[in-house]
Amino acid sequence: MTLDERLIAYLDGELGAQDRAGFEAEMAADPALAAKVAQHRRLGARIAEAYAPVLDEPVPERLLALASAANQAGRRRVGLPQWAAMAACLALGVVAGRELWPERGPLAAHDGALVARGGLDKTLTTQLAADGGAIRVGLSFKAGDGRYCRTFQSAPDRLAGLACRRDGRWVAQTVTAWAPQSTPDYRTAASDFPAAVLTAVEAMRAGETLDAPAERAARDRGWKP
Amino acid sequence: MASFEREIVELLPRLRRLGRVLARAPSDADDLVQLTVERALARRAQWHRGTRLDSWMFRIMKNAWIDETRARARRGGLFAPEEAGEGVGADGAAAMEARLSAGEVERAMARLPRDQRLAVALVLVEGLSYQEAAEVLEIPAGTLTSRLVRGRTALMAELGEAAP
Repeated sequence: MTLDERLIAYLDGELGAQDRAGFEAEMAADPALAAKVAQHRRLGARIAEAYAPVLDEPVPERLLALASAANQAGRRRVGLPQWAAMAACLALGVVAGRELWPERGPLAAHDGALVARGGLDKTLTTQLAADGGAIRVGLSFKAGDGRYCRTFQSAPDRLAGLACRRDGRWVAQTVTAWAPQSTPDYRTAASDFPAAVLTAVEAMRAGETLDAPAERAARDRGWKP
Repeated sequence: MASFEREIVELLPRLRRLGRVLARAPSDADDLVQLTVERALARRAQWHRGTRLDSWMFRIMKNAWIDETRARARRGGLFAPEEAGEGVGADGAAAMEARLSAGEVERAMARLPRDQRLAVALVLVEGLSYQEAAEVLEIPAGTLTSRLVRGRTALMAELGEAAP
């Protein structure tokens, strides 16, 4: 450990008895070190104090309501079993795919699944999250089985969803209605993504979402697991 | 209310505090808490009773915050402008002084790189042990220590206590 690492470990109570005694002996012999320790101790206290008042603030009603199961019914889906929310979304997608875009929609039925086609397929395959456009890709991540999955939002199709790569196609896992501007009365936290899509992401991902370099690398490898 | 939900309610003040360290503006912080609670409820089957709920939810918040900052970086502008985090109100001189000091701390914290801010938040503000913080952040203990050193050194330079 460097001296600085030992210094903060000492302050945070992370040194064993022997190392602590050794460090205290060093401080006793070195006033400059002792002064630095005191400075860092005051800094730590100041930082903790700066945020302490938050604990005494009243918790906003929307957070209390969200966390209490009794208030959830009819307001949001998160309390439902995962499959129910996903089935509902997929059903919407199937209906939409058949009835709204019989021939040329963004999704088509294929082997019992909904797969991306046309512009959506091309976007999911080639576009990075940093790129703009009418259809945008949001989060990319690896699912538990190693396949890549990506969220998308399509302004022209007015839908958002999550699709995972399988056998060279993007298979929709969940699809939901989405408009570019979020409605004022339903606030999906700090996010542009519909709650149903985020819930599906949470249920499927293994580890963190990809950052920009990892996303680019995965694309350049053709989204092969 | 089931015990899982009750425990989440009891954690809300601490989640809000951690959110404030990460996102700074109170409205952004509460949005982050909301996202965290939504995700926790959606994946409650993945939480093992008997393990620490606070660490588990801090990890969810960490991931949510990283996702949000990535999504927002793309749209330009990370969270609200700096001024949005300032406290307002006028009462006694002591309270005002405390608020000014807190404002300085918040500004310094907001300038820390993401990884360092997370490490400092969990250890200095939330009081987690190094091992607990490393587990929340899903990094080795050595990595946590070096982030803590860099974060604290930057804060010391920024908040510049005059050498005695």
